[in-house]
Amino acid sequence: MAKSKTWMMALVVVAAMALGACGKAAEGTPSSSPGNGSGEDSISAQTGGETESNEPVTFTYYHFAPGKKDVLASETVIGKELQKQTGVDWKLEYVVGDSTTKAGVMIASGEYPDVISSSGEMSKLMDAEAYIPLDDLIEEHAPNIKRVYGPYFDKMRHTDGKIYTLPYTANQGEYIGGPNIGGGAFWIQRSVLKEFNYPEIKTLDEYFDFIKKYKEKYPKVDGMDTIGFVSLAGVANNFFTLQNPAMHLAGYPNDGSVIVDMETHEAKIVAGTEYQKRWIGKLNEINAEGLFDPESFTMNKDQYLAKLTSGRVLGYFNYAWQVGDATKNLLSAGIDEKRYAPLPIVFDKDIKDQYIDPPGFVANYGIGITTKAEDPVRIIKYFDNLLKEENQILVQWGIKDQTYSVDENGRFYFANDEQRKYHDDLELSRTFGFTYFVTDWPKYGGESTLSDGNAFSPGNQSEVASYSYTEGDKAILEAYGVKTFSELFNKPDPRPWFPSWSIALEQGSPEQIFATKSDDLQRKHLPTLILESPSKFEPAWEAYISELNKLDKETYEATITKAVQDRVAGKW
Amino acid sequence: MLALKKSRLRRRSLGDRLFDYGNIVFMIGLMIVTIYPFVNMIAVSFNDANDAVRGGIYLWPRLWTLDNYSYIFGESDIYHATLISFLRTVLGTIVSVFCTAMLAFTISRQEFVLRKAVTMFFVFTMYFSGGLIPTYLLIRDLGLINSFWVYIFPGIIGVFNMIVIRSFIEGLPDGILESARIDGAGEFTTFVRVVLPLTIPAMATVSLFVAVGQWNSWFDVFLYNSSNIKLSTLQYELMKILQTSTTAATASAGDIYQSQGGSGTSVTPTSIRATMTIIASVPILMVYPFVQRYFVQGMTLGGVKG
Amino acid sequence: MEKPIKSEPLATGLNQPNIHKTALFFKRLLQQKTLAFMCIPFVLWAFVFKYMPLWGWTMAFQKFKASRTFAEQEWVGWQHFQFLFSDNSFYRVLRNTIVMSSIKLVLGFVTAITLALLLNELKNIVFKRFVQTVSYLPHFISWVVASSIVLTVLSPDGIVNLLLTKLGILDNPVLWMSKGHYFWGILGATEVWKEVGWNTIIYLAAITAIDPSQYEAAEIDGANRLQRMLSITLPGLKPVIIILLIMNMGHILESGFEAQYLLGNGMNQDYSENLDIFVLKYGIGMGNFSLGTAAGIFKTVVSFFFLFSANYMAKRMGESRLF
Repeated sequence: MAKSKTWMMALVVVAAMALGACGKAAEGTPSSSPGNGSGEDSISAQTGGETESNEPVTFTYYHFAPGKKDVLASETVIGKELQKQTGVDWKLEYVVGDSTTKAGVMIASGEYPDVISSSGEMSKLMDAEAYIPLDDLIEEHAPNIKRVYGPYFDKMRHTDGKIYTLPYTANQGEYIGGPNIGGGAFWIQRSVLKEFNYPEIKTLDEYFDFIKKYKEKYPKVDGMDTIGFVSLAGVANNFFTLQNPAMHLAGYPNDGSVIVDMETHEAKIVAGTEYQKRWIGKLNEINAEGLFDPESFTMNKDQYLAKLTSGRVLGYFNYAWQVGDATKNLLSAGIDEKRYAPLPIVFDKDIKDQYIDPPGFVANYGIGITTKAEDPVRIIKYFDNLLKEENQILVQWGIKDQTYSVDENGRFYFANDEQRKYHDDLELSRTFGFTYFVTDWPKYGGESTLSDGNAFSPGNQSEVASYSYTEGDKAILEAYGVKTFSELFNKPDPRPWFPSWSIALEQGSPEQIFATKSDDLQRKHLPTLILESPSKFEPAWEAYISELNKLDKETYEATITKAVQDRVAGKW
Repeated sequence: MLALKKSRLRRRSLGDRLFDYGNIVFMIGLMIVTIYPFVNMIAVSFNDANDAVRGGIYLWPRLWTLDNYSYIFGESDIYHATLISFLRTVLGTIVSVFCTAMLAFTISRQEFVLRKAVTMFFVFTMYFSGGLIPTYLLIRDLGLINSFWVYIFPGIIGVFNMIVIRSFIEGLPDGILESARIDGAGEFTTFVRVVLPLTIPAMATVSLFVAVGQWNSWFDVFLYNSSNIKLSTLQYELMKILQTSTTAATASAGDIYQSQGGSGTSVTPTSIRATMTIIASVPILMVYPFVQRYFVQGMTLGGVKG
Repeated sequence: MEKPIKSEPLATGLNQPNIHKTALFFKRLLQQKTLAFMCIPFVLWAFVFKYMPLWGWTMAFQKFKASRTFAEQEWVGWQHFQFLFSDNSFYRVLRNTIVMSSIKLVLGFVTAITLALLLNELKNIVFKRFVQTVSYLPHFISWVVASSIVLTVLSPDGIVNLLLTKLGILDNPVLWMSKGHYFWGILGATEVWKEVGWNTIIYLAAITAIDPSQYEAAEIDGANRLQRMLSITLPGLKPVIIILLIMNMGHILESGFEAQYLLGNGMNQDYSENLDIFVLKYGIGMGNFSLGTAAGIFKTVVSFFFLFSANYMAKRMGESRLF
């Protein structure tokens, strides 16, 4: 008994001490943390006259997407440098867990941080009138914001004609795409290319013919059956890997669930079209030939990635950012033949592929100042300062000779692995600040060129890309007579409405319900269609179409068409 | 007693013995099935993250490494978070079990006039919820945002646990409580001196439930204390690490200029998840053996008789 | 459960004047003031933490927008309920929910009680404790991990297909997760595997209250193991089993969420999609908190119906009951 009493006492003491520490820590945290919205103990300068000063102040920043560690901006090299220039520090916070829930709670309580980077929660925040209009602030205090965003102001205006947020896609200078395929493509195992001496593969039929021939020749890989083609269509939020190829094959970029006619600007749902029928029909055909992996519909992402790294899979369609772990693993394994190469596959030879995204503008992801901010002037000035070209170089490339070098022609490049690591290594990138500042702040669009001709983002600089090409990469590029992988693909045609997936649908509207329902229907029917014996494909397709026609697709198409046409007319 | 045991041994029938062997075989089978996920997690957690993407790791790591652990333990925030987890678990359990037991005691008393009303009042709360936003606003208005106490107060009474304890008290042999009261003890004294010691197995069980719940919970941190690192808990910090690694995986693919030879920190969601499963569950797994000490048949009654 | 003798006057006092009854109530409450003091603070607690947020139910009748104050909300009457009940997938979803939670309920009870009985028969204490500890391990594995294991085990080259084809039961591997009608069984088995050890704990605690002398007596009467299990241990557990059963009947529309979400796919969605997933898709997923609230109210109504029915049945059968 005595023993347990001592134990209890000790516990109480520890508890008291730790709680005391918490209490103190809580008091010490910056004033405008969402918790005490009253902000009575705010340390920010509120009187207008003082805003010129660089008096130290800490604001709060919230980003509605997960994946970064909360930190004080000044704890990073970039943040420290920007603080030196402006006196402003930031308490950076990133959502952990479900952002919808967090947004709902934040809005209901009205306890906003000083600035919010919306990520996917823009419509809710706008609905809640969480942001203040920036027009006057920009006019008075922000020449650089005007320079960078000026050409895009019309696209940024809310329905009331005011600007509330600064998006991340305001491209500057000449538009340049990445040297590598960071988006969607039909990928093929390099051994297939090698086997047939780097043939020209353009159409879907050719693509599967080569896979078929290869599989017939090598039915087993390491004792396991060779897999012709695999998709990731079981996991709910990855179903697009089965849906989207139809529009790409028809020569359209990833425009969401619709294809938009280049002339009439009419939006048409891909589901149920001849394009989808042709794509799904082809999969049905190759399934009958044993080329399709039926586990595509049941496995989860881990299993999918494991398959891609096993060397058994000859082809797949996906976006590069979806399969990063597998790509990385194959690269580090060092067996070049087991890696994959991207191909711009289309239905017919005369179709011009459009896999690479055209210059687009995404207005509904952005950063804005909230109604709870004590000193919007100071914040807009910080944003403005950030948009100076030297600071844009700082957040993308870093510090000269430390994180990048400049050659005699003034071109930026990575002179050694040390420099590259600053951008690549998780921990280094975090302490330097790239992790925090490279995006989700007012910035040039990712496909921008700096005024001296260098690429804005290192990933788009050809010197950087060629530095990292392996021998295997070079062999393929040489065989096809190109310098970069993206040269294998057609240049994107201008689509002034792009991307139509950024068209905001009203929460809970018939359009949104249609989108959910049609996805559900496809999730159910497309797998069955593919696994059905070819003779039964037609009736099964008819059944699917009749189900699909029961949904209100006209309203959806009309809404998107209207929005696209508005955008073309300059009304965003 | 000894004689009885001997006679039992002699009279053990063939059926009894077959039953015993069958039972043991069944239990071994059960253990194989239930220990597998843990063994698998351990194997993955000690395996190179990049290599683990290939899958096919079952019972033993293929490429042995401690990187996953050093990555997680390298996050300086998790140490304080572990302390908070520990505190909320211990304090939360003590407070909740004591209060719940006290409440259970009152509604176990057949003669208590409020018995049925109070029981129903609490039981109903198991089947409804005002929803996320009203609850959040309430917690805010009570001043519990950014406070340690938000881990304790909302969970003071566990209704399920209350019913469990009540059933246990009601199952006590008649007359024990009466005899205690004849001694002149008040209700509270009866509760502390008689009821608590007599219901130790129930208390131990309920403590386990509450402790596991406290240890594993992260949603309250997410909702109420996410902006205060000093009040973060282990589970929440581990979730952050997991999400960071998930995002890193997608980000690094977007910028292909990176990752020549896959240098840099190699963590993947799969390996982080395995490692955090082990780190987060091992401490709380220690509680059960402690609780088991009180699962001895006849213990309660022995207490009464002795 | 014997009737409390002291409450007789209350029960038979119906024909007496009301004033007398109230006075009697207060007189007795006064006598029991210590008991009252021991529970009133918690009643207040429950009122504040559990009942006060119920104003949120008004959301079900609004087009709720978090940014508006209560007075500014737009009232839409039964619109959200209509959406819920008129959606043609609602009844399928409801069926799935009820079937899955019933499977979970029945399987969960039967397996946990059986395991508790069998564990109780183990003679070696160390072995017994070891089995207990190991069997509750999967409870601590997240559904993400657990579902991954299930998918691996059931994949075309997984162990189940391997065994069944080796044994000649199957000619070709079966894609188990693509067959909707297997889903409920797979889910039930998974739930058992994950939770059986954990669910057993409460019965093991209850077994400790059984008087060991009963076993000795039965043994002398020549009862064998099975007879002792069924005639002493099981009846000893009956009150707990019934109370838990009643409580769980109230959760008939709670069939879980994560497992269905992670194991579900397009091919089995007709069987895997339950109410919670439906609400996620059309409610929270679209920023519509109102629909979720409406579904919550519907669940509560159903819960109360089942709860009271179960409690009433227990009362009629003379068993212990919840309230």
